[in-house]
Amino acid sequence: MKNIFRMLCIFGSILLLSGCWDRVEINDLAIVTAAAIDIKDDDQIELSLQVFIPKALSVGGGQGGSGQGGGGGATTLVRSQRGSNISDALSKLQSKIPRKVFWGQCKVFIFGEKLAKQGIQEQMDFLLRHPQPRERAYLYVSKGNPKAALESIPPLERYSGEVIRELSDLHIGMQVTIQDVQEGLIGVAQAGALPLIKILPPAKGEEKLQGIPYIVGTAVFKKDKMVGTMSEKATRGILWLRNEMEAYTVSVKPEGVKGDVSLNPVSARVKLIPQIRNDKWKMLVNINTEGAVIQNGTNLALTSPKSLQTVEKAYQEDIQKRIELAIQQAQHEMKADIVKFGKEFYRKYPKEWKEVEDRWAEVFSEMEVEVNVEAHIRRQGYINKPGGLPEKEVKKQ
Amino acid sequence: MIRNINKLLRKPKQKNNDIQAEQEQQDVTPVDFLSKHFDHNVEALRLVYDRCSDVVFRPFLLFGKTRATIIYIEGITNVEGMEEFVLSPLIKETASETPSLNEFLENKLPISKVKRMYTIAECIESISSGNPILLYERESDGFSLGLAKWEKRAIEEPTAEAGIRGPREGFNESLETSMSQLRRIIKSPALKIQSMKIGRYTQTTVAIAYIDGIADQTLIEEITNRLKRIEIDGILESEYIEEMIEDNPYSPFPQILSTERPDTACANLLEGRAVILIEGTPFVLVAPICFFSLIQAPEDYYQRFIVSTFIRWLRYAFLGISLLLPSLYVAILTFHHEAVPTALLLSVSASRETVPFPAIVEALLMEIMFEALREAGVRLPKQVGSAVSIVGALVIGQAAVQAGLVSAPMVIVVAITGIASFMLPRYITGIAIRMLRFPIILLAGTLGLLGIMMGIIAIVIHLCSLRSFGVPYLAPLAPLKGSELKDALWRSPIWKMDKRPHFTGDFNSTRQSPNQAPNPKKGGD
Repeated sequence: MKNIFRMLCIFGSILLLSGCWDRVEINDLAIVTAAAIDIKDDDQIELSLQVFIPKALSVGGGQGGSGQGGGGGATTLVRSQRGSNISDALSKLQSKIPRKVFWGQCKVFIFGEKLAKQGIQEQMDFLLRHPQPRERAYLYVSKGNPKAALESIPPLERYSGEVIRELSDLHIGMQVTIQDVQEGLIGVAQAGALPLIKILPPAKGEEKLQGIPYIVGTAVFKKDKMVGTMSEKATRGILWLRNEMEAYTVSVKPEGVKGDVSLNPVSARVKLIPQIRNDKWKMLVNINTEGAVIQNGTNLALTSPKSLQTVEKAYQEDIQKRIELAIQQAQHEMKADIVKFGKEFYRKYPKEWKEVEDRWAEVFSEMEVEVNVEAHIRRQGYINKPGGLPEKEVKKQ
Repeated sequence: MIRNINKLLRKPKQKNNDIQAEQEQQDVTPVDFLSKHFDHNVEALRLVYDRCSDVVFRPFLLFGKTRATIIYIEGITNVEGMEEFVLSPLIKETASETPSLNEFLENKLPISKVKRMYTIAECIESISSGNPILLYERESDGFSLGLAKWEKRAIEEPTAEAGIRGPREGFNESLETSMSQLRRIIKSPALKIQSMKIGRYTQTTVAIAYIDGIADQTLIEEITNRLKRIEIDGILESEYIEEMIEDNPYSPFPQILSTERPDTACANLLEGRAVILIEGTPFVLVAPICFFSLIQAPEDYYQRFIVSTFIRWLRYAFLGISLLLPSLYVAILTFHHEAVPTALLLSVSASRETVPFPAIVEALLMEIMFEALREAGVRLPKQVGSAVSIVGALVIGQAAVQAGLVSAPMVIVVAITGIASFMLPRYITGIAIRMLRFPIILLAGTLGLLGIMMGIIAIVIHLCSLRSFGVPYLAPLAPLKGSELKDALWRSPIWKMDKRPHFTGDFNSTRQSPNQAPNPKKGGD
């Protein structure tokens, strides 16, 4: 019994003397929901943090009435600070926030366009080295001042960081995490792509700050520097090539009839086949996709195989066009391998790859790309014939 | 130095105690033989039962001439029976002279249980257990008449182990009734019941029941030995016995199962375990057991095996919840803020905004409050019990949250934990788990998830080292016995459980013939 008591004393003191050292109550945390990093004219970094205000959300409690009353207001506050680098700015910023800055729930990091053009390596180091930021947090490049994206008060979501993250999860644009950027920058391609965001101006009747950030395209990085942007349309082509394409709508004009048919790609199998023949590098892109009709504005009855074929052909051409546009931009304008062709070559021809490793960007830009798309329409929705169209007007083939 | 001195001081004290104990024992049970002098014997008993107003000495004339006395205790003796079958025939009849009065009486008395007594001690034991003693002139022995009868509770539903399907009778305080209940279920003469008396003053009858040929004989010997070793003044409940014979007295986990259901007791007998019945309590003890017996309900075997399996899994899940949920909540809120989904963390952080305590203090407060409420609810008379639950629910659930003293998620966590601990069918197991929750909350509050892991590891090590009468506590999981998991991790259909458990029923391991799965093709001819 005496021994047990002694053991308890020792263990108790171990717990009380050495434990608790990193104990932080949740009430003492400033939970960062989004962060923006930009560079100012004097070459100083400006770090802006979007911090969650728990009081704004608290419904219970003695001041239940006042808590609910403030429901329409901001649930976050934005604080900025300049410094020579992120950590310097952060340490200065901490003195302006009475709670400990906590990065663990920050899933959105936005770089300013200017900073992106100058290089993000230094900033990436902080994000990767610090134990708190998540490797699965999303990265973005903002057109204009990234701080504005944080300051906007979205009407639908709790805070603007959430808006951007949700948009990314819809796979509308690229979805790039810290981990992906790290892999892209140090990997074979030495290039990367980040989604590009812009503030959507507030609708009529909405308050001034209620414009939300949204994804408008892609910022293309060569090494750690941004070299250009791609439109949303070209981004879709990139998504096809990277096999990250998810539900979105393609509207095509079938030959010989009036009107559009809108399709939703249901599945897509993308195969990249690298070839080196006679020292000529060539990439064969085979895409096999199946789509579902979601709107038929033409008078074609898709039950007949012939009209189905015309639509399928249009669908196929549209995808091909998009991909070619994307490849054209990546290959010839940016000369950045954001479609991960390098990886494929490295896998199949490691020796040859080693020889051209240093001038890969050049080889990439000169390589021939052949795109083969095979598109089918498998689902037509609840109705077969065009909806709301009299039987007589339906074109029969 | 100090320890040595202490030792020296302690030893003589213990010896004194021993001597005292011996003396006391002698005082209570004199071992003198009955003498030839009738008056002397009656006087000796009168001396023993000095100042006992409930002891009756009834002198009368046997066959009209021999002086005799009948001695009994009012209330535990069947007085009507005594008057009808003993007093009236013996007083009325005027028998002819017989050479041996003893034999004559033994043949003549219309009572089934008649026993000759030779010593004063025997007489005292007989009187105390309700059997009147008949003493008469000229003989150096008396008769104990089996006329014990006292008020007892009728057989009722077992209140602590309720169920929906299954037998509705429970053991009761009378040992005879309990034994008869066992005998009614297991009719084979292989069911052996050996009894002994424990307790210097209470002289409680303790009976060991087992099935000869299934139970290990060495187990029965070990139990008997441990019971014989008990030297105590009184046994009031089976817990007294349990604490005196269990393997590890300092463990929070019970190593002996207590049940008030005859069907549970019989199921255990059939698995080669021993049942210890104790007079004066409806709870019988079952040994040896393993951890899984404590989290299984008798009803597991009375409903479809798929249902039982699901309920067992549910129970295992809630066992984990009842042990760990508050600790996980505390650990995550104080150390691992990144481990929860953002939306959840924001909601929790908003609700904790007004709470003045750190999470660990809040958790301990609420858990202690809950335990207090539970305890208060158990002890209070039924009429007041509902008041406690109303006050508890209103004060804690409603007012504390509204006052901002406690966060709503914490109340939810405590409530879920409370329900989870009541999921365990055995009350004692639930309490053991609830007790262990507190050190784990402390560990979680100081070391986070790491502390919780340490706590779990410590508990698992402890469970692995526990034995119940030599049977590993975590069997059949550790040591792993694959074929027995069918009754631990899930519940196989009855027709699949062909073998008895390895550790208890190995001597007669076949329970039934295999391949008894019902099948329409098998049907009769």
